[in-house]
Amino acid sequence: MKSLLDYQVAEPLPIREWVPSDLQVRQYAEATGDFNPIHLDDDYARQAGLEGAIVHGMLTMAQMGAMLTDWIGEEGMLGKFNVRFEQIVRPNDKITCSGSIKARSKNTLVCILEASNNKKERVLSGLAYVMLKS
Amino acid sequence: MAKGRRAENIIIGKELIGLESKLLPLKIRHEDVRRFAEAIGIRFNDRVPATFVGTLVQAIIPGVELPAPGMIHGEQNITYYRPLCVGDSLNYKKCVKDVYERSGKLGKRMFVVLETTGYDLAGELVFASSSVLIAPSKEEGE
Repeated sequence: MKSLLDYQVAEPLPIREWVPSDLQVRQYAEATGDFNPIHLDDDYARQAGLEGAIVHGMLTMAQMGAMLTDWIGEEGMLGKFNVRFEQIVRPNDKITCSGSIKARSKNTLVCILEASNNKKERVLSGLAYVMLKS
Repeated sequence: MAKGRRAENIIIGKELIGLESKLLPLKIRHEDVRRFAEAIGIRFNDRVPATFVGTLVQAIIPGVELPAPGMIHGEQNITYYRPLCVGDSLNYKKCVKDVYERSGKLGKRMFVVLETTGYDLAGELVFASSSVLIAPSKEEGE
């Protein structure tokens, strides 16, 4: 398997595809204690001007985190993980998490992150610093 | 928080900067991490998912009910100074790191930066996790 050290600047990371469900949003609320009705109640979300309940931003960020940790494996750790939530994600959207190497030094890889939906809208962008084990 | 209460009715201003919760003990429990891993849909392998620290909701900042309904979660920035492991004992707190106003396409909006910091038992910083929350400005509609 390819080592993290083999990744060069501009090279893409292995992607992660994800389709959130109503059930997963409910499970996430229960596991985290975030019961904001905007995530759980379609009528409430519509009153707030949305088309229906929306997925927790942190659940989308967690998918990006899973993409990174699957890729990093035992070779390093996530030192910095910063994201901006750019668009609402709704249950059943098809989300693709992707990334690429922006810069590298002897013990750090800096990655640009992006998640988009099936309408090709960017829903999340971000940056990660991966610290390699020496 | 009452259902239907909107951020426009909540006073958010610079006076909140620096307010913080008490330092609370935090034990990274196997059961909590396993449940979190299951909820986000990953295989649990004793590692703590990076966004797990975003779920620490027990620390209450007196007088600050945030995030309030109607606020948007704009950004999340997590930094680890060392890895977090199942079984770790830490202390953590929350504070209002910053409050500022910006004008943009959507009019004036207030930004609140809420930071959660975790320390090991020697007092060394282990992680910092900041949420940027966005609310319409309190002047809006007046």
